[in-house]
Amino acid sequence: MANVVGSSVCRTAVDEGKPADWVPGGEKQTAVDPMKMFHELPREQLFITGSEAARESMRRANIDIAIAYPITPQSESMQQAGYLYDEGYIKEYYRAEEEIGTFSAISGASRAGVRSLTATSGPGLMRGMEAISSWPGARTPIIMLNMCRVINTPLAIQPDNIEMSFMLNTGILMLHAENQQDFYDFPLAAICASEQVDVTLPAVVSVDGFFCTHARGPVKVTPEEYKLPPRDGWRSAVPAMDNENPPARISRDAPIQKSNFISYHMHSSWQQEVFAAVERSAKYFRKYLGSLVEVVNPGAEDFIVASGCAVSQAREAVRQEGEKGRKVGLVKIKTIRPFPTEEIYEAVKDAKRILIPEFNQAGWLHKEVCSVLYGRTKGVIKNGPRVYGGMTMPTEMILEWLEEFRKEVK
Amino acid sequence: MLIQDNLVLTRSDPSGMGGTQLIYRLKNYGLSAVNRPQEEINQIHWEVEVIKFKDDTVSSFEVCHTTELADKTLKFYTDKSLNEFIEKSFQYFEELGSLEKMLPQEP
Repeated sequence: MANVVGSSVCRTAVDEGKPADWVPGGEKQTAVDPMKMFHELPREQLFITGSEAARESMRRANIDIAIAYPITPQSESMQQAGYLYDEGYIKEYYRAEEEIGTFSAISGASRAGVRSLTATSGPGLMRGMEAISSWPGARTPIIMLNMCRVINTPLAIQPDNIEMSFMLNTGILMLHAENQQDFYDFPLAAICASEQVDVTLPAVVSVDGFFCTHARGPVKVTPEEYKLPPRDGWRSAVPAMDNENPPARISRDAPIQKSNFISYHMHSSWQQEVFAAVERSAKYFRKYLGSLVEVVNPGAEDFIVASGCAVSQAREAVRQEGEKGRKVGLVKIKTIRPFPTEEIYEAVKDAKRILIPEFNQAGWLHKEVCSVLYGRTKGVIKNGPRVYGGMTMPTEMILEWLEEFRKEVK
Repeated sequence: MLIQDNLVLTRSDPSGMGGTQLIYRLKNYGLSAVNRPQEEINQIHWEVEVIKFKDDTVSSFEVCHTTELADKTLKFYTDKSLNEFIEKSFQYFEELGSLEKMLPQEP
């Protein structure tokens, strides 16, 4: 009795109160080559929140299924995803029971070969970490939007990106959006890179919650009548499951899923391949995003290296220093995994002072930068300023740290 | 679409609280329009100050509550109402510039 009005087996658009001639929004869109979408299509400037930017990105991403569980500050974006489902831009969408269920279910969807999206924030991410850490080894090109917030006690809902440090060694591709524009562009680029046959890995686009998700900023978007091509589930590092012929094997190599019998050789070679795939993704991000980093004022003696919202504050500090006739460089890191080792080195190799401001207690970006510059540069790397738990980082704070740094390192 | 005329700077709000600041400049006066994050999207609004520039740089200014345009921080809940105020302020700043030229100049 499928497709009959009122059927509990399969609800139709008419059951949802739509007219009989209703056409899903996604079916009215034209699929275009990703390079055309990123670099050729005209763009219109909107002034929208980060959550709305995520919505516009999802509208153009040809998403087959979205599954999420609400948590502040992610809820707003996935509410927007609900509107897209209603309009027919996302084919399937449901709210799971909680995050372990969400991230397990989205893994199953991705293994079945469809483009799968989820989203979360801080504590939700931590709750689902067991499932998340299984994604890369399962070679599931899931796209996850992560609106960062405090995870540690005393708990708060304010921005703090310490949770990103827990994903650094999982084999997931990681991008860190500076602003609303990035939160539109990065998910599209992440989808395209993650689904390449020599990558086939999940990707997380993180953004500092509230500062970006719940505030408006300028975003240049491509026309909504264009979307990315669909995912080709068979063009993948591991074959998709054939869900139409159960029972489906969740992996071509059965022992991979048999923890009692797995050999350490198999595990280690499998993991080596995952991390090699992370590195291979760099060429795609360079293609879609132009580069893994943005460098302002190359050749400066003083450099700020940052990711996420810290870039915006650093960018203004650099501008104000410029007004005073002082040249300060800035490296904006777009991709945390793959980490742009050579790009950072090239940018700061002659710098005397390197400042790394962050919105977390751990200083994980400082550690990452130190690990790639150790023994290669003579510049002094300073860890700070660091704010967390929702603290703000005014531009003046960065300027004061720069001034002190200049006194310490002549 | 927000008015782009005389928009000299769009930047992340330097207070570090997130959001965007727009700075408009016409001669020595201008407007600072800031919107900051709100828990509910429909609470997002513009906070607008009339500002007076100290020199030629765009970030060297002080809040000016002594014009006829505004004696306090103004709030606008839509882009349309902000645009209307911006247009009105441009006319006022033009006239103010002309009037200030008529004042006796300090030696």
